[in-house]
Amino acid sequence: MGNRKRSYKAEKVIERMGKKLNRQMVASLVACVHCGLCTEACHYVLANPGDPTYAPAYKADQVRKFFKRHFDWTGRILPWWVKAKSLYTDEELNELKDTVFGKCTNCRRCSLNCPMGVDYATFNRMARGLLVSVGVMPEGVAIVSKDQWEIGNQMGVLKEDYVETLDWLSDELEDELGDPAVRIPIDKMDADVVYSINPREIKYDPRTISDAAKIFYVAGENWTMPSECWDMTNFGLFSGDDDLGGAVGRRLYEKVVELRGGKLVISECGHGYRSTRCEAPNWAGMDVEFEMESSVLTMLRYIKEGRIRVDKTKNKIPVTFHDSCNNARSCGLFEEPRELLSLVVEDFREMYPNRAENYCCTGGGGAMSMSEYTPQRLKSAVTKANQMKDTGAEIVVTSCHNCVDGLTDLIRHYKLGMQVTQLVNLVANAVVVEKKVAVPVEAVPVMAEDNVLKGYRILVTDDEPDFVTFVSAVLEDHGASVSRAYSGDEALELARREKPNLITLDIAMPGKSGKEVFEEMRADSDLKRIPVCIITGRPELRRLIYDRPVPPPEGYMDKPVTEDGLLLNVRKILETAHEKKSSEA
Amino acid sequence: MSDQLKINSHSFRLVKGDITDLEIESFVYYARNDLLLGAGYGTAISVRGGPTVQEELKRFGMLQTTEAVVSSAGEMKANFIIHAVGPKFQEEGQEGKLRSTILNCLKKAEEEGIKAIAFPAMGVGFYGVPVKTSAAITLKTISEYLSGDTRINDVVVCLLDMREYKPFHEEFMSISGV
Repeated sequence: MGNRKRSYKAEKVIERMGKKLNRQMVASLVACVHCGLCTEACHYVLANPGDPTYAPAYKADQVRKFFKRHFDWTGRILPWWVKAKSLYTDEELNELKDTVFGKCTNCRRCSLNCPMGVDYATFNRMARGLLVSVGVMPEGVAIVSKDQWEIGNQMGVLKEDYVETLDWLSDELEDELGDPAVRIPIDKMDADVVYSINPREIKYDPRTISDAAKIFYVAGENWTMPSECWDMTNFGLFSGDDDLGGAVGRRLYEKVVELRGGKLVISECGHGYRSTRCEAPNWAGMDVEFEMESSVLTMLRYIKEGRIRVDKTKNKIPVTFHDSCNNARSCGLFEEPRELLSLVVEDFREMYPNRAENYCCTGGGGAMSMSEYTPQRLKSAVTKANQMKDTGAEIVVTSCHNCVDGLTDLIRHYKLGMQVTQLVNLVANAVVVEKKVAVPVEAVPVMAEDNVLKGYRILVTDDEPDFVTFVSAVLEDHGASVSRAYSGDEALELARREKPNLITLDIAMPGKSGKEVFEEMRADSDLKRIPVCIITGRPELRRLIYDRPVPPPEGYMDKPVTEDGLLLNVRKILETAHEKKSSEA
Repeated sequence: MSDQLKINSHSFRLVKGDITDLEIESFVYYARNDLLLGAGYGTAISVRGGPTVQEELKRFGMLQTTEAVVSSAGEMKANFIIHAVGPKFQEEGQEGKLRSTILNCLKKAEEEGIKAIAFPAMGVGFYGVPVKTSAAITLKTISEYLSGDTRINDVVVCLLDMREYKPFHEEFMSISGV
């Protein structure tokens, strides 16, 4: 191998590769005949036809060449013949990082089209893990991994915030259905179902939790949610870190056992389902004795068993379905969501190709956390965008939170004007809630729904005038007094002058950005206690706000926002701020 | 869940839980060289402690691996945070550096008059130090330190989950001679 000096990190990568290789990986590493059939299967290639570096076979060769040089006899004896080449420098490791993280979402569509059975995603994941083990990874991967290692979930949600959100959702549900039994049971022993979720649900999409709770309630399920170790997502699948994958899986499995739960139900998340149900027992090296089920199957079962009744006329808008790669291609979960959809929507339109042949949302494999690759990710999304547009549907349904983010981003980028939702939202909307006999209670004054925001001053900040008009109208219709700012400087000036009760803040604005406004507010003794709700069309910029050394914003929403979603978030933030103020007083 | 022993009348304990939410005078944060709090426990410190912690760290600049500094803990339950830069990602000389980092934490605590200190599973998890290696080095270094002349009277090793707790417990048992 010559006398060329190898960097310490390159040495460690090669050393570790020897420990990571298994029969499946070796078979995939040696079997490629470079026939090119994988090329047209990859959404990156379709969007970049003139760039051969996106071809799966080319990308695979970047890993294959040092495998051959060190672990395959052909490359050890005749390196020039089989294009075997070692790794030497940290720069080469960085180049490899851009290939394995930035040019592939591990969607496995190329594997499906390979006549030799090469599973490129498997060793692409291994290569990611090798790089992570020496600290070479995109910044977003580092942030999410560390949060999941140390806080216990991918988004760094602290226990108190998680429990508080569940409490607040329980209050809302109790108000809506008028029954204390609808409250979300936390850490209930001996429940038949332990429900695990994606932290995105707590942080950005709590409606999915209350919708699930509503369904469990109507079904009369004996269920619970754990107060900790509740995250069913697993960034180890994306980062290639088997230790992380095992640790995360083990925490969840041990919690179910501790609660003596009967079954683990996994909310709608493609990689979470694949990791928790299929991969993590292997990474953790443990037998899992209880049953694990996707919530899609749970909901379908409730309908089939007559535990819930649904009225599909509640969902009239035309919908299509996007198969998550991990659910469909890797776990074979594609007929059940369609069966469920046919029961709860009136107008379902298939997307082509579909099921295991479906194209990636382009946000998979952790791509949403790697902002440095956003332009190439969005460029590669053109195939998916065309697929969706051709359906003529107004709503795209998916059973994956990653896909929700990926699709939302591409819908905005390609101006498709569609909405993204999940099956749980549609089922909850269609579920028939039997009226319970109301027990008269002492009359208490209830604020009219139209005036729930009366007395609150809210500053709406966004450089898009249409959006400011929409948000302002919703808030004013419900009694708020609204000021409008169209730039960061204007927002700060108005905030200082008016001291509003809440500020909604866009991140990407010309001039002073939302991030700068947010930081200035948090550093200003007069403004730092004003609650802030970030509303952005650039979810990849979240980390600019959340990775700052200041208390995080009180709320966050992705555009497009709905009237209900906006009101729900604003009310929650104002109530929490009020409670905090009261307790401080 | 906890294990406890006495060394020279000093308390040495293992507990399971979240180190950033512990009722103790000080705890160790496995820090970056630039002392940015960042993610993970850093998120918890930023959120629970408030912005003053990061602000306070600015005066220290960059640290070399094995060095440690002390800041206040803002609004957290603890009073102090010992920010210690341990070895990361299979770094050369990992074991020796880990030992020095732990010793520097204890010395820094001593200098500041801190009596009680909690350590996490040093370097385990994101930074890739194998949990058995960390357990052996951490517990040995601390127990030797407590055997000497010190004013620190309570050392806790706070483990996040059973994956961390079990190997530390086994090592702890061998140290305590059980």
